[in-house]
Amino acid sequence: MEKHLITFMPDNVSVAVREGTNLLAAAKQAGIDMSSPCGGRGTCGKCAVKVISGSYDSREDAHLSEDLKAQGLVLACKIKVRGPMTVEVPTQSRLTEHKVLLGSKRTRFTKENDFFATRKMNPICHRYCLRLDPPDLVDNQSDWDRLQNALRKQHGLKDATIAISCLQALPAAARLGNWDITVTVGTLLGVPKVLTVEPGHTTRPTYGLAVDIGTTTVVVALLDTATGRILDKAGTYNKQSVYGSDVISRIIYTDDHPEGLALLQKAVLDTLNELIDGLLAKNGIDPREIPVLVHGGNTVMTHLFLGIPATWLRLEPYAPAVTAPPVLRAKELELHINPDALVVTIPSVAAYVGGDITAGVLATQITRSEELTLFIDIGTNGELVLGNNDWLVTCACSAGPAFEGSGIACGMRAMEGAIDSLEIDRETLEAHCGTIGKIKPRGICGSGLICALSELKRAGIIDRAGKMLPHQNQRIRLGSEGMEYVLVWADESGSKQDIVITEGDIKNLLRAKGAILAGIRTMLNLVQLEMQDIARVYIAGGFGNYLNISDSVRIGLLPDLPREKFEYVGNSCIQGAMTVLLSQEGLAESLDLANRMTYLELSNGNQFMDEFISALFIPHTDLNLFPSLQTECPGSAQALRGEQEGDAERPTGAGGPPPSSQES
Amino acid sequence: MPVQILKERNSGKITCVTLGATAEQGGTRACTITVGGESSLPWLHFEGETPNKPVVAVEVLDRYPEEWNDAVKAAYGDAMKDAATWAKAAVECGGADLIYLRLQSADPELGASTPEQCVATVKKVLATVGVPVAVIGCGIDEVDNKVIPAVAEACAGENLLLGLATTENYNTIVAAAMVHKHTVIAQSPLDINMCKQLNILITEMGIPADRIIVDPSIGGLGYGLEYAYSVGERARIGSLQGDKMLALPVIGTVGFEAWKAKEANVGADEFPGWGDQAERGILWETVTAASLLQSGLDILVMRHPEAIALVKKNVADLMAPSSL
Repeated sequence: MEKHLITFMPDNVSVAVREGTNLLAAAKQAGIDMSSPCGGRGTCGKCAVKVISGSYDSREDAHLSEDLKAQGLVLACKIKVRGPMTVEVPTQSRLTEHKVLLGSKRTRFTKENDFFATRKMNPICHRYCLRLDPPDLVDNQSDWDRLQNALRKQHGLKDATIAISCLQALPAAARLGNWDITVTVGTLLGVPKVLTVEPGHTTRPTYGLAVDIGTTTVVVALLDTATGRILDKAGTYNKQSVYGSDVISRIIYTDDHPEGLALLQKAVLDTLNELIDGLLAKNGIDPREIPVLVHGGNTVMTHLFLGIPATWLRLEPYAPAVTAPPVLRAKELELHINPDALVVTIPSVAAYVGGDITAGVLATQITRSEELTLFIDIGTNGELVLGNNDWLVTCACSAGPAFEGSGIACGMRAMEGAIDSLEIDRETLEAHCGTIGKIKPRGICGSGLICALSELKRAGIIDRAGKMLPHQNQRIRLGSEGMEYVLVWADESGSKQDIVITEGDIKNLLRAKGAILAGIRTMLNLVQLEMQDIARVYIAGGFGNYLNISDSVRIGLLPDLPREKFEYVGNSCIQGAMTVLLSQEGLAESLDLANRMTYLELSNGNQFMDEFISALFIPHTDLNLFPSLQTECPGSAQALRGEQEGDAERPTGAGGPPPSSQES
Repeated sequence: MPVQILKERNSGKITCVTLGATAEQGGTRACTITVGGESSLPWLHFEGETPNKPVVAVEVLDRYPEEWNDAVKAAYGDAMKDAATWAKAAVECGGADLIYLRLQSADPELGASTPEQCVATVKKVLATVGVPVAVIGCGIDEVDNKVIPAVAEACAGENLLLGLATTENYNTIVAAAMVHKHTVIAQSPLDINMCKQLNILITEMGIPADRIIVDPSIGGLGYGLEYAYSVGERARIGSLQGDKMLALPVIGTVGFEAWKAKEANVGADEFPGWGDQAERGILWETVTAASLLQSGLDILVMRHPEAIALVKKNVADLMAPSSL
């Protein structure tokens, strides 16, 4: 079939594609990362491009905003190439660098980690320098027997096994080092296996990788597993994003396309391999030096990473194919590390409570005390764990992607130019916005939306049900999709369009926050406890680090508890993965935790729905659940008087992001 | 040995709401009606008080309801052609404690009456009957947002019962009621949480709680009555436990729901075993009302005089002190 050259501007990158190729796919081929939260189904209206020249077929752009249409833009996913083209990709349609949460900056992970407060390090992979007895005519037992004996006698490792590649290398290595030999042994649940052999005695560190495979981002940490030191970290977008921004659209993609599952697996493996290549090159480490990789992710990510069909995770009764997958070899996934390296998956609990949550519970050690602890991971989904040393309950509430900026008129992910904090003047109703990177705002991300909801209510622009109240102010107007509030005028925005929050956005946000609080309340009801009984709240996840607690309580996303009870734990998934990497007991505990967590299926019964409806209110239909807000005004007239409490946390004016977002 | 009756001690009670205003109170009504005040679950006289008996509001339209059931039309005949005449008949022979006047003709498809025409209709009804009057819009927010404020202003001081205030349009209606001293109906779609949310929104505008009647929506017999019962029961239990945002008298459009039922509308020729159609419709309305009286309904909006007579007898029986 005929091929056409497509040139993307301003990058000036060209790619030859077959007649009829989808333009979004062509952009991907050209290495241009475009925003397409809907996975190219044409419903999100985010992949707008300008065709400078060329011929193409286009379907109806029902989801492209009128503004963009007027500017001559079209949706890339709706275009089929019919001849050579030159296309301009505007910045708002691109994925720029995401604020990837790399976890805390501590370099010696074990020092402050709760798991290692009471336990010694005992990494999965350990390097042993051995002295073998040289063979002679009297003692000519095999090299492998000799190595086994040395491991048993010198290090107490019984019944070791060995990878075939190591056996192949062993005879030469033993003799080359004059019977001094260094081996790396990986021990899984008490069974040691030799993973590398090399001649002589080496003093190089033993390395290991901990990986968080998120729906949005993938993060890799490189550790010296002998000392527990974090040597380096890297993170980037999950390349699966082009197939849909959320797990459901990705599962649908695998269902609708014959090669879908393989494509999605390849996308995440490519993402991971690129990160690994970069990290190892930067630190001058040979890929064969990596004998182990521990990864955690939500159940869907784990399925797709391992190439297991995820179809039935989406359908009732939501049964996963596997919760605790076997340990694999790197070569089985074509990972760019030692082919025999162990690839350990942190076990999941259920279809929507994955290994990332098990990892989080392991890292935060909820089970170490009798204090009632709530663990919250707010991402595309809201996963919750409640419990203490005796019991654990967990559930997943479909908060929807609103907090990730998806399904929001001017929503965007937490990247450069995203509004992540704001203040609305009670008198003039003017907004002062802070953005990530302190550049002109291009849209609003999750933390900004929480701020916005809280501020809109406090300024009396919306009522408790999220409806816009009549005001004589040019910022409050009737837009194409109902009432909207203008946060930023076009001339001050980086996208040259007004940045607005519509009544529809507010409804989406209310549903998202309502689902989380309803999940918390439903779990508490199950064990007959009240929100006030919660002693600690750990907030995890990329989003968690940029969350304003006061605003979150004010809109009824988080329980009304003293602020000191909340603790950000950052990327707890990678912390859990590091814990497992550094502790064989940690691996055993992760399996035990995944088994012990009682999974509460919220779609079973009507209690969650009842809680959900009552949470679709700011802060909640039962105002008594939020005692600290009772001093705050009921009516909008009083709201205009304003109250100072809590404002100190937010920067004034168009300053930078809130203090909590300085990390990363 | 004497039997000790266990009694529930309730901390809350339903707010009393008075409808209508006499000349001294700034209106023109011959009498006012007070509903609410209950301090027990419905009809448990030994546990609390039921100071005000449930009342019946008769549904009157400002247009001839061609589509209504013949049994109801036969009961009023030509009187239905004029809202004031209909209202007068409802009070004199229909058992109406108050009039529930629906300004349906404001609907662009049902007559497109102007706000001025609507005001004239309301004025005429007020001049014809002495009982309190509820005035309900046509159900289209943009229209009602003009009609109801006009009525509220023209009838200032009458303490009309204005409706329907929903989450979408409560602002305008409640503001009009506050300024011109009327009471409002807060309508929510068969959900206890949404019912409470709307009450919070409305009271936060500054209107006192004793100027709100809630319409939590009901279903007729065989058409979701149990949902309505359950919502009513939960609201009453919440009220008795001290939840002021639920402790408001409840109105239910019994006639509207009951006469929609297939059982009220198909002839005996089609289902011989079902008996006479007119009688069946009347009983359908009666049983819907009687069932919902058990869930704590304070104002029953009804249609057929015979059904109303039966329900009033039921209310009288229920109001009698119980033997405990």
